[in-house]
Amino acid sequence: MNVGAGVEEGQKVEAQMRRCGDNVTRDEACGGASDTLKLWRIRVVNTVSRLTKACVLRLTCDHLYFVLSGRVATGGVSMWCELSQVNFFDEFQLEGVSADANEIFLEVAPENLSRALKTAQNAKSVKIKLTKKNCPCLTLAAELPSLSSVSRVVTHDIPVDVIPRRLWHDFREPQMPDFDVSIYLPPLKTMKSVVDRMKNLSNYLVLEANLNGEMNLKIETELVSVTTHFKELGNPPWGDDGSQSSSPTHRDPDLMAEARVDIKKLQQFLTGQQVNPSRAMCNIVHRRILHLIFLHEDVSLQYFIPAVM
Amino acid sequence: MALRTVNSSQSAYACFCFTPLFFQQYIPDPDIQNGCEAVKCKLNMKCVLPLFRCASWRERRVDRCEISINIPNSRVIFQFHCRHGITKTYNLGYQECEALQAVFPAHLCPNVLMAQSKLLGDIVVHFPVSQEEVTLSMSSFKVTFKTFCEEENNCIKGMNTELMLYPDEFDYFQVGEDSAVTFCLKELRGLLSFAESYSLPVSSQFGVAGQPISFTVKDMALEAHVVLSTLTDPNHESPSRPAPGDDCPVNIPKTSTAEISTCEGPMETEVCVADGEQVASSQGSEVFNPALHMRKMIQLHAPGEIPSLVPESALTTPVTPATFKIRSLLFGAVYSDGGNDKTVDLPSLACASDTEEDGGTEEDLGNNPLSSTLAVRFRLVFDLSLQMTSFEVRSSKAEEPRNRCGLQVPARNRKLKQPSILPAGNSRQSSD
Repeated sequence: MNVGAGVEEGQKVEAQMRRCGDNVTRDEACGGASDTLKLWRIRVVNTVSRLTKACVLRLTCDHLYFVLSGRVATGGVSMWCELSQVNFFDEFQLEGVSADANEIFLEVAPENLSRALKTAQNAKSVKIKLTKKNCPCLTLAAELPSLSSVSRVVTHDIPVDVIPRRLWHDFREPQMPDFDVSIYLPPLKTMKSVVDRMKNLSNYLVLEANLNGEMNLKIETELVSVTTHFKELGNPPWGDDGSQSSSPTHRDPDLMAEARVDIKKLQQFLTGQQVNPSRAMCNIVHRRILHLIFLHEDVSLQYFIPAVM
Repeated sequence: MALRTVNSSQSAYACFCFTPLFFQQYIPDPDIQNGCEAVKCKLNMKCVLPLFRCASWRERRVDRCEISINIPNSRVIFQFHCRHGITKTYNLGYQECEALQAVFPAHLCPNVLMAQSKLLGDIVVHFPVSQEEVTLSMSSFKVTFKTFCEEENNCIKGMNTELMLYPDEFDYFQVGEDSAVTFCLKELRGLLSFAESYSLPVSSQFGVAGQPISFTVKDMALEAHVVLSTLTDPNHESPSRPAPGDDCPVNIPKTSTAEISTCEGPMETEVCVADGEQVASSQGSEVFNPALHMRKMIQLHAPGEIPSLVPESALTTPVTPATFKIRSLLFGAVYSDGGNDKTVDLPSLACASDTEEDGGTEEDLGNNPLSSTLAVRFRLVFDLSLQMTSFEVRSSKAEEPRNRCGLQVPARNRKLKQPSILPAGNSRQSSD
């Protein structure tokens, strides 16, 4: 075990966030991107905070993951959000549980993290450390611009729970399901407004799509049934990726795969998105699961909603 | 015109005073200049707030707002003159009451901070809106704002935030005594956003833990104060001074001694020192009961009520960490020396006089030892008690002048020191 800075299990994380706007000597792309990425990071955290009250933050040397494992309590939805730390941090030091498992799993309330990051938006520099006050905390210390010569320092202590190694298997990266259809989603704003209106009419929504780039959102109740049709959405070319079998199954392109899901969960996911991702797609395992994937620069967010009968 | 209020636990007090400069037109009653007595009344906040709430409507449609008092009917009238010839008139019934003023000798406070409202806004933004208490610590080197957790367990659940600033960020920085005071931030936010909208600096005076902290915003046209109680330091014990009179120095007018009922003798002895210092003789007093004292001072209850003297000397004992008490403010009656009526720092709107301020009856004095010293100013005191409200929309303004200046005959009668029975339910019920 490594002896770290005051945390019982000896784990240590120290990270210094990339500064915004003072990357004069850096490559133009970097300087501009870090701004966007910083905002996006805040948005990622915001998005995650809208999806769930508590999630697991997994830290490795290269990546950060926000993980929510499907539990009955959350209605079976699970989430996997992956960020590459290099894009956000100038310095990143991590000492995990042990050399061969150089990772740390923390249970955290993303809302706290989001709030802390928000107040540090204009900071000159931000440092995040794993500390132990009354309980293990992620301490975020930001240097803020001030009226005087000396900066103001704001410190946020976010309580976290360190997850012991024996429970790590609960938070593994989910396998890409053997999906039947994969399709790009329509513009999020449109989809969201459709789902919002449908939510008023029914508790369950059927999402169906085929390999012809067609997608339907359907609700059906005793009194009313409503279907919204989207066309020419396009299908992502999976081919060699994922767990799709190497020889693409010959599926009738017009055959719809569907999943009936709790509309609230879908709406919650769509509401949380504040940025239009560069790629938004949806994999459907017929009547089993809805797998939504959002990619933006090098942040990926996957959301699994189980189908209900 | 002064608006004052206090919260239900009497741990926060706010006062907004508007000078005539604030108003387009300010017509005091002629009786005031003749040394007439003031009326203080209280209105239900829930009735008044909706009248002013809808900002966009207000800005677009309302040309003018007139506030007047109709004493005989005990109504405060808010009249909005809107576009297109529409007049909205709201007649709110009021209840007369005692003056309410927190007596807080700000000039005696060792620590003073003054800052631009934007700075304070930047500070409080770091704390969640739901955060109740924060601790402000001050030393010669720095000023710290920190989330306050009552117990260890709470710290685990919630986020802790600490913000450190240096003295040179403040417009004025005076530290007489290193201290850390904990007060309710929620109650301050209103004043801070008010100050920000007016771009006025905010100054703050405070002492050690347990002493109230006050925040002030001043301008030519208005002056706003918020006084908040602070938590006493549970670790701080002062065995030599069991009576916690040092929590809050109180200025009680000297004239109040005479009518004090005997059971409060020792207490009153203590407080009748002009500059509020603790009197040696009261230190051993077992009957000093701050809560009791406070209730008497405020007298927001029916006047006849004398709270029973509970031997709660527990209040004088040091507070254990597990339980703390927010020290309530000590409110003093606003006293009037002879010439105060002339020195109107709080000009009034309309006149009326109420009997108890006239000197009252004997039974008044007996029940309300301090009523005889209560102010004779015009105040509008807003309080959270239930009142009747009536709405009326009129198209004419014929009745205004009379109402505004209070030239009703009954008012004159009262001025002549006739019995105070006011028409139709206005009676202060002083015999309660």
